[in-house]
Amino acid sequence: MIPSEQGQAAKPASKYRSQLRIYVDIMRVIQRESNQAKPTRILYGANLSHDRLVKYLEELKSVGVIRETGTEDKVYSLTQKGIEFLNNFRKVESFASAFGFSI
Amino acid sequence: MEFIAFAIAIAVAHQALKGYRLSKERTLLYLNLSFVLLGAGLLIDGLSNLIVLLARFHRGFLFLSALGYTINFLAQLLAYGILVFAYIQQTRNVGAQVAMVALPVFFFEHNAVTELILIFLLVYIATQTAINYSVNKSTNALLVLGAFASLSIAHLFFLLFTLSAVFFPVAHIAQLFGFLLLLAMLLRVNESV
Repeated sequence: MIPSEQGQAAKPASKYRSQLRIYVDIMRVIQRESNQAKPTRILYGANLSHDRLVKYLEELKSVGVIRETGTEDKVYSLTQKGIEFLNNFRKVESFASAFGFSI
Repeated sequence: MEFIAFAIAIAVAHQALKGYRLSKERTLLYLNLSFVLLGAGLLIDGLSNLIVLLARFHRGFLFLSALGYTINFLAQLLAYGILVFAYIQQTRNVGAQVAMVALPVFFFEHNAVTELILIFLLVYIATQTAINYSVNKSTNALLVLGAFASLSIAHLFFLLFTLSAVFFPVAHIAQLFGFLLLLAMLLRVNESV
């Protein structure tokens, strides 16, 4: 569903966000913005540089969890697949957190 | 009771596997392995005891009870060992390492040494879950803490069972209560969205 982190080096220390966490942060910003988020809102909300944001948005679009709408100003919204992914992620996060594991 | 605990352990393992597939987080795979082993041990122990019961404690079948306990003990040892390893990985506590002991291959009856080993592992896990609860104060974390505390108490009663048979049913009830708390956590997690 979401591009995996295969090929990455050893797991970074907890102060660094995993790729999955960045995807989720982006999608949560979009959801928070009533499912209609402009790139600048996502950029500040997910705390990313412009270049990385563009890269991640393209990846999320390619797996079909977000879609780009708007003609002049780009606006991003979650697809049904994206909403389902976030719901599943929330369950997994809650389950892992109950045991004291972070994802 | 073992069969109910088995079903709950498999449900927890299934949830952990779903989480691992979604997040590729290795600690969830350890959690899955741990609960698969716990479930397998409980199932084998339950089945062996059931056969002994159905055979009306015939002398020829009594070894099955010891065999079931041995497999269950080894499965629990491995399962809780994996969980301890997962917590060590999570907290990056490189100073703490699990000493692997080569176990001689023979059948165990309920005895003080095997139960003490399991209590040691379970108390470590319960402590980690208590630390987790003190940090995030969530009901789910409290349920997991309660579950591992109950399992620790259950094995304490299994230890006391070597002194008096009265503690045997109490230990089983405590063990079942621990797994029921895990079931409650699972239901809450799946209803949370």
